[in-house]
Amino acid sequence: MNTRFSAIPSADISADRAIPPAEVVLAPTTLEEASQALRIATEQRMKVLIWGGGNHQGYGHRVHPDMVLITTSLNRIEVWEPEDLTIVAEAGTRISQLEEMLAEKRQTTLLPNPSPTGTIGGALAAGLSSYKRFRYGPSRDRVLETKVVTGDGRIVRSGGRVVKNVTGYDIPRLMVGALGRMGLIGSVCLKLIPTPAAAVTVEVDDPAVALATLYRPLAVLSTPSGHSAFLWGTQAEVESQAGRLGGEVLSGHAWPPMPSRPVAWSLRLPPSQLSEGLERLPEGWDYVAQQGVGITECTADQVEIGAAKELRGWAESVGGALVLTNGPETLYERIDPWGTPPAGLDYQRKLVAGFDPYRVLNSGRLPGGI
Amino acid sequence: MAATLTGSNTKLRDDLIRLLGTERVMDSTLERHLYAKDAGVYIGNPTVVVMIETTEEVAQVVRAARHHGVPIVARGAGTGLSAGAVPEVGGVVLVTTRMNRIEEIDAENHTAWVGPGVINLDLSRATTPFGMHFAPDPSSQSACTVGGNIACNSGGPHCLSEGSTVNHILALEVVTDTGDVMIVGGGAPDPIGLDLRGILVGSEGTLGIVTRALVKLTPNPPDVRTMAVAFPDIEDAAATVSGIIAAGLIPAALEMMDQLMMQAIENWLHAGLPVEAGALLLAEVTGVTEAVEAEAEIITRIAHGNNALSVQVAVSPQEREILWKSRKSAFGAVAQAAPDYYLHDTVVPRTRLVEAMRQVYEIGQRYQITMMNVFHAGDGNLHPLMAFDASEPGRLDEVKAAADELVEICVEKGGVLSGEHGIGIEKRHLMPLLFTEMDLDAQARVKEAFDAGGVFNPGKVLPEGSRCFDFGRPVPEGAWV
Amino acid sequence: MGYQTPYAPTRSELSSCIQCGLCLPHCPTFRLTGKETDSPRGRLTAMTAVLDGVTGIDEVFTETISFCLGCRACEPVCPSMVPYGRTLEGARAEIAAQKGGAARRLRGWIMETWLGSPAIMRVITWATAMVQHTGLARIAPRRVRSGLRGLRHIGWRTASLRGRSFEPERAPVATVGLLTGCIMGPWFAEVHQASIALLVRAGYRVVVPSGQTCCGALAAHDGAADGAARLAVRNAAAFRAVDYVVANAAGCSAHLKDYHHWAPGDTLGEGWQVRDITELAAEAVEDGRLPRLEEGRGVVALQHPCHLRNAQRIITQPRVILEAAGYQTTDIDPVCCGAAGFYSILRPDTSARLGRDKADEIGRTGATLVASANPGCEMQLRSHLAGEYRVLHPVELYMQALSDAPEGQA
Repeated sequence: MNTRFSAIPSADISADRAIPPAEVVLAPTTLEEASQALRIATEQRMKVLIWGGGNHQGYGHRVHPDMVLITTSLNRIEVWEPEDLTIVAEAGTRISQLEEMLAEKRQTTLLPNPSPTGTIGGALAAGLSSYKRFRYGPSRDRVLETKVVTGDGRIVRSGGRVVKNVTGYDIPRLMVGALGRMGLIGSVCLKLIPTPAAAVTVEVDDPAVALATLYRPLAVLSTPSGHSAFLWGTQAEVESQAGRLGGEVLSGHAWPPMPSRPVAWSLRLPPSQLSEGLERLPEGWDYVAQQGVGITECTADQVEIGAAKELRGWAESVGGALVLTNGPETLYERIDPWGTPPAGLDYQRKLVAGFDPYRVLNSGRLPGGI
Repeated sequence: MAATLTGSNTKLRDDLIRLLGTERVMDSTLERHLYAKDAGVYIGNPTVVVMIETTEEVAQVVRAARHHGVPIVARGAGTGLSAGAVPEVGGVVLVTTRMNRIEEIDAENHTAWVGPGVINLDLSRATTPFGMHFAPDPSSQSACTVGGNIACNSGGPHCLSEGSTVNHILALEVVTDTGDVMIVGGGAPDPIGLDLRGILVGSEGTLGIVTRALVKLTPNPPDVRTMAVAFPDIEDAAATVSGIIAAGLIPAALEMMDQLMMQAIENWLHAGLPVEAGALLLAEVTGVTEAVEAEAEIITRIAHGNNALSVQVAVSPQEREILWKSRKSAFGAVAQAAPDYYLHDTVVPRTRLVEAMRQVYEIGQRYQITMMNVFHAGDGNLHPLMAFDASEPGRLDEVKAAADELVEICVEKGGVLSGEHGIGIEKRHLMPLLFTEMDLDAQARVKEAFDAGGVFNPGKVLPEGSRCFDFGRPVPEGAWV
Repeated sequence: MGYQTPYAPTRSELSSCIQCGLCLPHCPTFRLTGKETDSPRGRLTAMTAVLDGVTGIDEVFTETISFCLGCRACEPVCPSMVPYGRTLEGARAEIAAQKGGAARRLRGWIMETWLGSPAIMRVITWATAMVQHTGLARIAPRRVRSGLRGLRHIGWRTASLRGRSFEPERAPVATVGLLTGCIMGPWFAEVHQASIALLVRAGYRVVVPSGQTCCGALAAHDGAADGAARLAVRNAAAFRAVDYVVANAAGCSAHLKDYHHWAPGDTLGEGWQVRDITELAAEAVEDGRLPRLEEGRGVVALQHPCHLRNAQRIITQPRVILEAAGYQTTDIDPVCCGAAGFYSILRPDTSARLGRDKADEIGRTGATLVASANPGCEMQLRSHLAGEYRVLHPVELYMQALSDAPEGQA
């Protein structure tokens, strides 16, 4: 429809995650191109789906797009200031590539990096954080500036490229977890941390003991096969902390793999409810539980709707949620991926309307069909 | 001075008295005068001041104010410096100091539900028995309220490692523009839907009124080293800061002050500061003993490599306390130099600190304003303190002009307008330095989504006319709202 | 409009406040109401507002200023070093001058003439003893009942110390003049005896000038400024010949130290030097002029009178004395106990609330012995504490310990 847009780099499209059929598939190479595409979409009242690495398309309600905007050509590193511990990168940049580059100077974004195709924009739009969040907080806390393209094609910059900033409303934070409803994340400035010198993994018998013994460990994870504590810091610090636990110590971080299965859930609970949550998991679910954080990522081969609804009912009763994060298309028709919508839906709707007045971008994906 | 109550305002006052009783509704000339300003230099004109005690009362006051078409300005302890709590165009000043209950401390989940009027330091004191504290620690922490911290997304020395207030707020109970009450966020991680909590924090009371907050508590570190390092000049101190970061350390705090500032503090506190030195760097590392010892050693080495005159390590909690007291009371000590002060707040990328500082002194010289400096060096967050006498004709305008120049040079260097004080009235006219019309329009849309009627703290944060951009044409009928 | 007396708060005093608000949480009245009007910053702004003619000395202003306890807890925490206590006295003098009703004038007259006259105080003491001994206290008006409950046992008459002097064994370290005060002499005679004994033991020659009178603190705090000034002039003359004036009531020593505001320049001798007894005692302990006695006398809850801690910054000295006496000390949070001079009579409810809080806090320490270096605080504490508690001056506790000590050690 417009030759100025580049062809889709087909190698970037993961084979097992098919882009849904759409009239137009575009891969803008600049924010201006994305802006033009969205202005056209707005004029034509087209439904647009944003597609990065295709890893988190299972989040939220399904979208049946007229147009797909692939972000992977928005992949420039704009500025890296190692001494300021900041980096500005376009959102289609793969996290794996970014981290590889940052590792040269022993720095990291702390963004989750489970798949080689995962993009910055994808992780942020889905609101995902790495297991390191127990020590360092969620990804949302690392976004300093965003440049987004709104549903009606405006390019809006908010925040700033410094580590501390209260200039204006914190729109960058709002973009995280908004699943593209507040705009296509074009580029972001991220706060970096220096990668500590030493990393170890310690097997532990009781995660509660590990949490009580360690001073702010990087993570304490539980899987069906056991519990591990993850430490990061100076050599002396790591050794001393590991010594206190007394379990087997492995050099480096042996992050547990998440078995890839057709259905995925994210169980989010107040940390104190996590162990009860694990007891309540339906038979046959695999999981990685983040102790002290309260998140349990689960995968399963199939879904018994009844069991999921029961678990969700309990999770919601203690202030948590059970979110469907992947599964066959038909599953989304049988169960709301989010569960009970949160408070303030009216204000969420109004916020989105200010950024996407014609419901063009990823419309309907958020809780409450926003 | 304050305008007298108009007929409609008298009715508003009567309604408020019916809701709250006479003791909690203040509208005499003197009372309104006392609530006309915060700790900054701007003066407003409250119509009436109310002391509220419950969420339901806030909701009722919001409904009453809307009914009478009068805006509401929320106020905590009034320690803000950007005029966020100054009722510029009149209205109801809603004081939250009595909503100061720490309702529940959940030691297992490291959280607490608190009222907005709880004093920041009181919260940390109350959680000390549980081995935890509330991490944001602005210099005014002994007086400022958690509600004010939320409104301004306050920082403090320790937000270098812990982040600003927003990182420590899990949920908010908010009274909205319709006078309804909603709870956004929650005790479980990653609540679903848009992060309304995140946008409300730092919104300076322009989007809603926070009536309760679920705060995250941070475990107290098992060990601490606080170091006071004296340098011949700011350059050496700044080079040390860069060296520390380059060595892969992010200390709990990295604070700097210049000689004039040290002298003023020493005069009051007798803390034993090295007043003969050109600059003082306060560095604090926290963690397990092995870590803090190793890190203190690295910092000492880097400091000596950058011409440190002396490295003093606080041994006892008392020594640590006095060092922090000297840092946190710095801005008040400036009054010894002149009767008025203007405490600035801007940010530059950390690597541009030294050049920014040089220009700060240059501006001071040009305007003949005493510039004292005390700042969060680790964050690149500058706090030039300008001491002056406001009774000299035209002086305040000169100071404001100097302040604007300071912001301009910081923005030129890739910085921002404010790191922790907020925009308020003070800096809204400078917003276009950082943002385009379209950027500001987007921010105005955020305000519009929450408070289209303009009942909450009107005129703050954004310059007038920000909501200007409609991309060619007005939103037509049928647009989805 | 504006201010009318020479005592009024001045522009330079008021403009030293930069309105940072650090004083707010330290102010007991702000803690009670949360109102800016009831905070030190608010009161200073109010005083400036009158100076600027924004408002006059109206009811709101009077209430704002009168509600203040005068505890001056705002002063040590003020980085701008605002002389709050001075401005408060000035504002109260203005209220008295401009709005002084009959009741206030009567109060001012009482505070100058009654408290300043030993003869009248003897009559009052006799009457008070009568009330105490006969049980009439139970039917006394509510405002004074609490005060009566806090009194020590009062004898029918006490020997006057005026005109006497006491010599140390060796050549005196210095000559000190003891202020007997208005109520200290008749109602706290034991404290005077202990003070004199301690000073003599520490090597001081102690004189009790006969021309002295009430220090004037109560009058000054209430706005009876002219009366306070006349009392100051009388004392300035009476104590001319001493090296230091010494007082054993924190309220008195604090006020005596402020005499340069009250006695015109030429009436106050150049060498006007005032010390609280706790300062001299602690110095003597540290110099070895008073012995450190054996430990193990138990725990004493140490109350910090506002006029010792906030007005004079005397914080460690009482602890030094008590530790030298062999006690272990536990500090009570230095929030005003609510006595605040005549405040307990003028505002019984606020006073009682603070008094109860203080008693609760003392209860939590577990100690039943309480040390207070100010008679007003002592009475307030006693009236809110149950019978098993004893409240004494640190100097008394030291001298008791000394007399209990075996020969060699003492």
